[in-house]
Amino acid sequence: MESGVFHSNYKKDMELRPTPIMKGRLVFVIVLALIFPFVANNYQLTLANQVGIFAIAAIGLNILTGFTGQISLGTGGFMAIGAYGSGLLVTNLGMPWWMTVPIASLVTAVIGAFFGLPSLRLKGLYLAIATLAAQQVIEWAIIRSPFTGGVEALVVPSPTILGVRMSTDANFYWIILISLAIVVMFAVNLFRTKIGRAFIAIRDQDIAAEVMGVNVFLYKVMSFALSSAIIGFAGALLAQYRGIVNYERFTIELSISILAMVIIGGLGSVSGSIYGAILISLLPAILSNLGTAMSDSIPAMLTIMPFIQKGMFGVVIILFLIFEPEGIAKIWKNIKDYFRLWPFSY
Amino acid sequence: MKKLLLLVIVLLALAACGGGNDEEDTIKLGGIHDLTGPTSDAGTPYADGIRDYIKFVNANGGVDGRQIDFMSQDYAYAVDQAEQLYSQYTSKEIIGFQGWGTGDTEALRGRVAEDKIPFMSASYSETLADPAEAPYNFLVGTSYSGQFIIALQYAKDNGATTVALMHHDSPFGTSPLADGKAWAEANGMEVIGIPMPKGASDFTAELTQVTDAGAEYIVVQNVSSPAATLAKDINRLGMDTQMICLNWCSDELFVELSGDAAEGVIAASPFAFVNSGASLIEDEIRPYTEEAGIDLEAKGVHYIQGWVTMRLMVDGIREVVANGDELTGENIHAALEGFTNYSTGDVTTPLTFTSSDHAGNKALRLYQVKNGVHEQMTDYIKVSD
Repeated sequence: MESGVFHSNYKKDMELRPTPIMKGRLVFVIVLALIFPFVANNYQLTLANQVGIFAIAAIGLNILTGFTGQISLGTGGFMAIGAYGSGLLVTNLGMPWWMTVPIASLVTAVIGAFFGLPSLRLKGLYLAIATLAAQQVIEWAIIRSPFTGGVEALVVPSPTILGVRMSTDANFYWIILISLAIVVMFAVNLFRTKIGRAFIAIRDQDIAAEVMGVNVFLYKVMSFALSSAIIGFAGALLAQYRGIVNYERFTIELSISILAMVIIGGLGSVSGSIYGAILISLLPAILSNLGTAMSDSIPAMLTIMPFIQKGMFGVVIILFLIFEPEGIAKIWKNIKDYFRLWPFSY
Repeated sequence: MKKLLLLVIVLLALAACGGGNDEEDTIKLGGIHDLTGPTSDAGTPYADGIRDYIKFVNANGGVDGRQIDFMSQDYAYAVDQAEQLYSQYTSKEIIGFQGWGTGDTEALRGRVAEDKIPFMSASYSETLADPAEAPYNFLVGTSYSGQFIIALQYAKDNGATTVALMHHDSPFGTSPLADGKAWAEANGMEVIGIPMPKGASDFTAELTQVTDAGAEYIVVQNVSSPAATLAKDINRLGMDTQMICLNWCSDELFVELSGDAAEGVIAASPFAFVNSGASLIEDEIRPYTEEAGIDLEAKGVHYIQGWVTMRLMVDGIREVVANGDELTGENIHAALEGFTNYSTGDVTTPLTFTSSDHAGNKALRLYQVKNGVHEQMTDYIKVSD
């Protein structure tokens, strides 16, 4: 049992995970992630890869919504830009796929920043509608544009590393794992820098932030750019992983489900975004398997389950908003706090 | 809190296991249905048709004594869920897959080619018919382009010079437009494409465009409920333009929703309607549904569509078994490519697949709504080049 964390030098003070228990948990997660592909089947790998890509997108959105306090309903559109950007660079210019991913992220950042411009004047619901417009405009542009193939799906050739085809579930797992690790480290450290702290200041009270000398407009746009870059990155990975880019994947429903991940996971928490991505992407799989498993004893379950599955998404969001608005990250923190002082909590 | 945690762990474990018990010696097939999503109107009877055909086969001794284990679930028209389910079923070594819409069919066509799993769905885009693009997709229905060209041929034969294609504002909707325009140009006609905005409750503005262009025919590539709104608007405006529905509004739901406005509307349906008297319906489907207590009239044409689609896949499997080959997706693919004039019991024109063309269905009959039912109007009209 510990009585507190006391730092004796600045180096220790800067540590992200100062206690042995924290370090232990991190090692545990890393080991788990490294062992996973060797024990999992293709189905579990597909789920893991989907979770990984959504986690990256959710972290991206969390930078904007959770840390800077700017709502966005354009996530699906920004992911589409990343996906089409990466796919088109490979198919039209013949660039190596690994080069297209960062370029697609940059393009998404620029477009994201552009759609972030109204945030100077708009807040809350008004900004939500402005970003919703971004979603619609991007979708429209993709369907109509002569470059994207419009109505036809864009086929992206399978990515390779040293001649090894990477688009299989097992191989792509590593790409997603490394990408997620980089994004997590970037995001966690971002909020220890001047930029990240400016974001938080804007979220907490933009007028106060401005009085303190934070250039609110600049940082808001920067937040849009950074967030969009990461979301575009997730989209580019998705394009490379799936090999086919179709606009139907990037509709407003995707924007909403990623927003749900951020809210359920915990606004303003990097790890929360990952928890949220896990819950929202696995919930349908869990419920449908539960339905199949139960259908042996209760045959009617098979017909009812799809509807329960649909309703459950809403129920989960409502339950979280009522009982733990700060999300899974807060629940996990409460559990940790409980055991930290256990059995002598007061 | 601990109980909750335990519950979560149990649920996760269940998800990981994937449920289900693997029995040896069954033939495993996978599928996805839209039972709760935006296209569930047509998706539910289509899914019922597919699942009931499996029940029918299994009740009649299966394939060469082996039962078919058809694993399928609702995916609510969500592409990620389609991918999840697809990989769940492929990890259980399925040898064929039944998809549904444009979104999932496009998203999976690369995968099914890599995994060598024959794939059929209710999306009939022309690109899916080209084995160079989509080697494992097989089209049971006439392609959207083919349907539109047949409608254009009919319009031309009846003296039309201008035809409007009013379509769903999506890849599904615009799919036949380019091929139709090219055909019209070659045959001295004009085609104008008019998108129908999603969720619109009034198409007066779009219909004004039709009148201004002087179109004699309106071909509709959309689903039943917007098509019904359109039919009512045509009626309300007193236009004498003839409406022709392609596959996805050629159904009972359209008639029910449009009421009197449906009278006289022509349906370019690749599949025979329930009342058509087609031998497959009377000899196979109706006896089954009567015995199972299913109201075939209420299920409608999409039920028959699902039934025929699954029947083709199972007959591909039978062919492989009859040849004494190993049951793999690759062999089923080869068997299907050898199908020449495969009879669907007059539900569709006989199907022919080759290694260079997976658009098995090249002709359809036109129907016309009379007294609230689709009555056959022409014999099979073939797509001309």
